[in-house]
Amino acid sequence: MTSDPVMTSTGARQRQKRFAILQKWISRALAHNLSCLIVPGPDVALAHGLDVMATGMRITATPRDAGVLLIIGELSEKMSEAVTVLYAQMPRPRAILLLGGQTPSSLPSADVSAGLSQEALTDATEWLRRALAEGAFATSPEDFDASVLHARIEYVCPMHPEVVQDEPGSCPKCGMDLVAREAGKDECAGETTAEHGHHHDHEHHHGHEHHHGDEHHAHDHHHSHDHEHHRCGAHGHSEHDHSGHDHAGHDHGAMGFMSMVEVTRDLPRSADGLAMDWIEVPFGPVFPGLPGGLKLTLTLDGDGVTEGQATSLVGMATEGDEVDAGTFVEHLASAMPLAPVSYRLLACLAIERATGLEDDPATARARASALERERIASHLGWLAQLGRQLGFAWLTHRASALHLDIRHASQPQLIELGPALQALATRLGRTPLLKARLKGTGVLPAGSSGLRGPVALAADEAGDAWTRLWQRLAEITASLDVIKTTGEPELPVLRNIGHVSGVGEATVETPRGLAQLSLKLEHGRIKSYTLDTACSHHIGLVAKLVEGRELGDALVAVGSLDLSPWEVIS
Amino acid sequence: MNFAVVLLALLGSVWVLAVVEGWTTTGHLRPAAPLLSGLAHLGRESIVPRTPDRVFFEAAPVLLLIVAVLGAAVLPLAPTLVIADLATGALFINAALAYVLVALIMGGWGPNGAYAMIGGWRFLGQLIAYSMLIVMPITAAAMRAESLLNSAIVTSQAGLWNIVYQPLGFVLFFIAATALAFRSPFDLPTAAGELAGGVEAEYTGARLAVLRLARLVLVITLASATTVFYLGGWHGPLLPPWAWSLVKTLTVSSSMLLAGHHLPRIREADLLGWCWKLGIPLALLNIFVVGLLVLVVP
Repeated sequence: MTSDPVMTSTGARQRQKRFAILQKWISRALAHNLSCLIVPGPDVALAHGLDVMATGMRITATPRDAGVLLIIGELSEKMSEAVTVLYAQMPRPRAILLLGGQTPSSLPSADVSAGLSQEALTDATEWLRRALAEGAFATSPEDFDASVLHARIEYVCPMHPEVVQDEPGSCPKCGMDLVAREAGKDECAGETTAEHGHHHDHEHHHGHEHHHGDEHHAHDHHHSHDHEHHRCGAHGHSEHDHSGHDHAGHDHGAMGFMSMVEVTRDLPRSADGLAMDWIEVPFGPVFPGLPGGLKLTLTLDGDGVTEGQATSLVGMATEGDEVDAGTFVEHLASAMPLAPVSYRLLACLAIERATGLEDDPATARARASALERERIASHLGWLAQLGRQLGFAWLTHRASALHLDIRHASQPQLIELGPALQALATRLGRTPLLKARLKGTGVLPAGSSGLRGPVALAADEAGDAWTRLWQRLAEITASLDVIKTTGEPELPVLRNIGHVSGVGEATVETPRGLAQLSLKLEHGRIKSYTLDTACSHHIGLVAKLVEGRELGDALVAVGSLDLSPWEVIS
Repeated sequence: MNFAVVLLALLGSVWVLAVVEGWTTTGHLRPAAPLLSGLAHLGRESIVPRTPDRVFFEAAPVLLLIVAVLGAAVLPLAPTLVIADLATGALFINAALAYVLVALIMGGWGPNGAYAMIGGWRFLGQLIAYSMLIVMPITAAAMRAESLLNSAIVTSQAGLWNIVYQPLGFVLFFIAATALAFRSPFDLPTAAGELAGGVEAEYTGARLAVLRLARLVLVITLASATTVFYLGGWHGPLLPPWAWSLVKTLTVSSSMLLAGHHLPRIREADLLGWCWKLGIPLALLNIFVVGLLVLVVP
């Protein structure tokens, strides 16, 4: 039986047509349902005055749920790496929307790029919707691959850590079989035995952000993923044979039953005495419960944190070329997106001191107003972030709305907003579960040094997340009172200083605590400077705060510090 | 016939609930949004993570959906409008809901990711905490009806709804139902701020659509169970019985959503502590009081 070729092609065409209608509907649905993962984070978007929800885009918690990668501002090199892995995890169709920056070289070029403003964001979103409605199925997507997604595997002798080679084989010294490990992961070399059981030559990189690496290409490599066993010797355990644990614990392809007792026999016991598989899990740098750019690495046993540390991937580097004073002010302000006014003021003050300019009382008052306005806005931004962390949607919504109203408000407008701010505090005081959640969490260890700002002021009482919340709420009220007397806020502008030289030092009480800048000016150019910020000190508290805590409590404790990773000086 | 009608009612309720959910998060009332969102999920790539437990990964969303529908199957919307009015209906719904835990553990284990796995285990840790508070209030409701037949439990409330007869049981059941549906403030297995979606974190495309649908159906099923056991089921003036069932179910499910919107997530240790130390004794007290009432009041 031969079928009529004409009939077949007509049938195919009809099928194609029917499919095309379905495609059209799906494309439209996709365009209606834009969801975005914000990089470095929603806190940064808010600090730039962007209202992402107003564009109709949903903000997602994971790259798996995102169709748009919304990148805000320039990304540091470390962030670019992390973002590349995030992009690889997003399901297609996916797009990159870039606001006020350049595409990192490891990513495909941005689908839309625009300036850093709400109008630009709205326009860009509309453009994306149109493009998606028309072309979601238009082109066959190319495979995305980037070198950062691969990790090099090297082979090392379990007995002789100095024996490392690229090919599997046996050790020339003792004849033992070499075992595979990921290159660059040898901080604890010598204490580690085979962690990765059976590796292939190339393997996707993991552990930079949310989840493990890219899965678009179905690799069936054995891989320990995020579930790495704790490796370093800080806990006094070493030389465990970890090989096999990965399989027993997580790499559950074709294995039989293995009892937990057997798996955990030689593992160290945690504080609660339960034997658990220890895994090292990265939280951040793009994580809904933490400030964007902050990476928290926690060693978990069960959901208890054994140890943890925080690093900033966006911290400011203080080395740089010599620049003129005006550029320096802009540079410092833009490097600190969560508190640009404070650092602009700090730079202006230090430079003016260096030139010996007298303080003008009127300007000083206007600047103080601007600083206090930023303090209110910054604390509201923190409240919004707290809401995201606690799944307290109302708080995020309310605090974000107030933040957007306040960031450019004039003095009368600010005074008008006073009752609304007061109502927010009253409401928080009455919210059930909130006190239970925060009280006793994140208690600062006795004798903590280097505390500044709200963290220091709240340390006198219980020093927990609950007192820090109320310290910030009290500061909002206090700042409003200051603004009532200091008058109209005005952004600090550097006065004309000419080609002078000198040495200047200034301090500003930023929303997160005291910041100190000393600089050397030569012929109107910044020769060198040192900057000391509150967050550089506070980030060191993280290890103590998370140790021995339940995961949720550990994250709340870190959040309550209001760390700005941008203000961590590297 | 009943099967089709109940399923349709279930889907309709899910749709209303999804619209309400969209309204609370975006502030816009968009009736078409749930359908568009479902379509959009179909258009997205459905990624399988590397080295998953394929069976668990694929089965978890489907199992959750089946469990939720099975639970709804024994809940009467009207005197005769029920898929299966089992003689052991009140027991059956407990058995069906027990598999929510299984589905979440499978979904947590399957994708081979740390966040999902912690989410799954968290839910296992809460098992006794919430399930005792599901079982014991249902027991008290069955005691009053002197039957495990769900329709008989509704009939027993013709004069006085259980929410008035045993208010303590209602409060405990409502809280436990929210916890079992892992809705905020009990969304520990999927917490966005702590686990970036947890059990949901690795699902995309069609699988995510099924998972989200299953979650909404589960909320409706639990709201419907609250209606049957505590809010007098189909009883009510003027409107036809099925309409009362739907109105009550939607009110309960919407209030579950709205409550979560205004509350921070509960600490896991607090949830366990309060349920074990306070909830279970209170549930026992409720059973005792209902027992006395059944014996003493004619």
